[in-house]
Amino acid sequence: MAFLALQLLFRRLLLALPILLCVSALVFGILRLLPADPVAMSLPPGATAEDYEKLKQAFGLDRSLITQYGIWLGKLLSGDLGGSIFFRRPVSELVWVALPATLELVALSLFLGISVGVGGGLAMFALRGGLGEQALDGATTAMMAIPEFLWAILLILLVGVSLQWLPFIGRLGPGIQLPPTITGFLLIDSLLAGRFATFGSAFTHLLLPSIALAIGLAPLVMRVLRSSLLETAQDDYVTQARLRGISENRILVRHALPNAALPTISLIGVQGGFMFGGTVLVEMIFAYPGLGNLMVDAVRNHDLPVIQAVALIYCVLVLGINAVVDVAYLAVNPRLRLAGAR
Amino acid sequence: MTMIDRRSLMKMGAGAGALAALGVPAEVLAQAAARGQLTLAFPADVPTWDPNARTLAAVQSLYKLVFDQPLTQNPDVSIKPALVTKWTLENPTTLALDLRSDVVFHDGTPMTSADFRFSFFERAKLPVPEGGRRLDTGFIWRKVTDIETPTPTRAIMKFSEPMPSAVAWLAFLCSFVVPKAYVERVGLAEFVAKPVGTGPYKLVEYQQGARIVLEANDRYWDGKPAIGRVTIELVRDPTARVAAFESRRADVAVDVPIREAQRLATQPGVSARLDPIADIMLLQITKNGGFADDRARLAAHHAIDKVAISRALFGGAATPISVPAAKGTPGYPPNYDFAFSVERSQALLREIGHSAQNPLSIKFASSNGAFPNDFEMARAIVQMWRRVGINADLEPIELSVYQERLRAGTLPEATLFSWGNAVGDPEMYGGYLLDPKSIFSAFKTDEMAPRIQPLLTETDEAKRIQGYRDAHQFAAERGFTIPLLQTVKTIVHRNEVAVTKYDNGWILPHTWSFKA
Repeated sequence: MAFLALQLLFRRLLLALPILLCVSALVFGILRLLPADPVAMSLPPGATAEDYEKLKQAFGLDRSLITQYGIWLGKLLSGDLGGSIFFRRPVSELVWVALPATLELVALSLFLGISVGVGGGLAMFALRGGLGEQALDGATTAMMAIPEFLWAILLILLVGVSLQWLPFIGRLGPGIQLPPTITGFLLIDSLLAGRFATFGSAFTHLLLPSIALAIGLAPLVMRVLRSSLLETAQDDYVTQARLRGISENRILVRHALPNAALPTISLIGVQGGFMFGGTVLVEMIFAYPGLGNLMVDAVRNHDLPVIQAVALIYCVLVLGINAVVDVAYLAVNPRLRLAGAR
Repeated sequence: MTMIDRRSLMKMGAGAGALAALGVPAEVLAQAAARGQLTLAFPADVPTWDPNARTLAAVQSLYKLVFDQPLTQNPDVSIKPALVTKWTLENPTTLALDLRSDVVFHDGTPMTSADFRFSFFERAKLPVPEGGRRLDTGFIWRKVTDIETPTPTRAIMKFSEPMPSAVAWLAFLCSFVVPKAYVERVGLAEFVAKPVGTGPYKLVEYQQGARIVLEANDRYWDGKPAIGRVTIELVRDPTARVAAFESRRADVAVDVPIREAQRLATQPGVSARLDPIADIMLLQITKNGGFADDRARLAAHHAIDKVAISRALFGGAATPISVPAAKGTPGYPPNYDFAFSVERSQALLREIGHSAQNPLSIKFASSNGAFPNDFEMARAIVQMWRRVGINADLEPIELSVYQERLRAGTLPEATLFSWGNAVGDPEMYGGYLLDPKSIFSAFKTDEMAPRIQPLLTETDEAKRIQGYRDAHQFAAERGFTIPLLQTVKTIVHRNEVAVTKYDNGWILPHTWSFKA
């Protein structure tokens, strides 16, 4: 199994390279075709038309699109993401501060979304045909009908402002000191440094934005899992298990769920990718300093190097999630393992 | 990608009022206040902690908390001494400055004329690395040929040609003094990571895009700030800033939507300020298409009821302006008023063969969300124009697109734009907006060149100011620009906080205090 998983990941990596190349070329090309001017935006008072031309040369924006792309790609391969036009700092420096924040947010959102989704799906299946299922069905409809940025605002108003249960600004409470940077992940670094108050503050600050993002995933998982379970429940092996006198709970957990999980895993893979897109608005609303917020600043200022870098990182993250989903698929589907072994 | 609709966000924010009224423990922040701590919800972060790198009006206040400028401004925007105690124009190209002798950087080293020279000459003239760019101070102080430092408290600036706005620039945007010895010892990267200034606060914690924590500088030359610790929560979303204030997670919130500020002001224990500032909103005009004829542009100007726009969108707080300068600043001609007159507008349009039945068609661009109520204002103007016989095709654009079109000379007939000028000097209004050589001017006409360009080197201050007043008025009367309103700054704060209001919109907690 481990060998097959590694083989699969290696294949995925090989496939990812041309995808990344295409995405980078696409993003690079589209940004250059937009009728917007990052150099003019960054000119201070006192600058002249000659200064504009000099800066354009300095940023390489006077060269052909292909030359520009070649230079950028060459630097990228050597680990240089370039310099930000707006921030006047290396892009890598900006990204390495923001990326762990977004990864923590998405990880917790996925955990919450999957947990609630799977739990809810099982509950809907168990309560099928009754009022409980209808109530849960209504709840999922409501969750899906409202976009995540609106959930974010509702959660702030209800949980943050009115009830004051959870914080909703930034990553840490006032007076809580940052732990020394070891991994960049606040939760991990605070635990490594033994700062449990910092961990608690970071965790509570993550909750509301994570819930806002998870609300987009959980109802879909619930519905797909419920449908798959209903279908699986009709299969012969489930009927035979019942005839052998195995309890309903055991049939559900040991037999029906692993088979019904396959479409759900595919869905999580797709929605997990969308979740990164959702972080852009959610991070802005919660003043959460991740990649989404960085992207908003970069887009507002037409900061090409930052937009390119963040877009590429989003692409890598989505491909990463897909690879993880493939491995999960392999783990729960014996037919794939057999096919792989052959 | 789903985009936030600002209008719906504001509506949601309005709905927050009812929820927020459901009991908020005011004692939470009262305890912090008792400890001399203040939390401020602020909309923008510094791009870098190098204060000389960028000319960004939105964050000048943040830099001013950690660093000092040679000169500063009073609440009424007049220039006042800071690190520089006295300035004398010895001749048209020599400006002599006396510096304070009691100023120390946060690391305890004294600030001297060597630091001044380093900040305004040596750094500005540094060779540009491959693929890099000069600091913005390098563009602003390009006329400086040398800064002599005969004593630690005297600096003499030498210019290649007269720079009458030099004094104003010493209090403007990125003109900050940084420590020469520290920067040279630790290098730029370390300086940006651990900035050291002479400002009223020391930076004790910085989370990029999230939070700035400042502690009062005990040895500040202007006295230790009354508020000992300031936490600045960087909250971009205006609704979230309102929520931060309502949940008592912030004592003060700035740049909240006008209607939210008005609503919050009705709550007990809360004060809200809606004040016009020195920044202005105007229509950048070109003579393209339908605006080739002076009369068409003047008709468009006469048709705009600025008072009505101010009342409808800014709670009446946005002061209407007739020239591209804020009222009360030196370059604003006293007693001049460009009249709102539908009849006058219609008459001018009739002269060029247009009426409501045969409207003049123009293109009109506006940002949407770049500054408060921009697109709403543009839509109101479209309606006002339609009434007199101007049919404007309104297009939302990004600021980056505006800049590209401005540079390429392809802006439409009118573009709604916001112009910042915290220092209030007329050069930073008409000098940039009307000079055909300026990269910021939209209406390129040789008629303005002889009126503006001599003023850029005019050292007779009275003559310079009068020249700008005349040029501003001339431009308005010829339809080279359509000034609209002064920008409005909103500040909501708990009554316990005594906030000093600056006419240029500065947010400076070291000038605030907690009421007893």
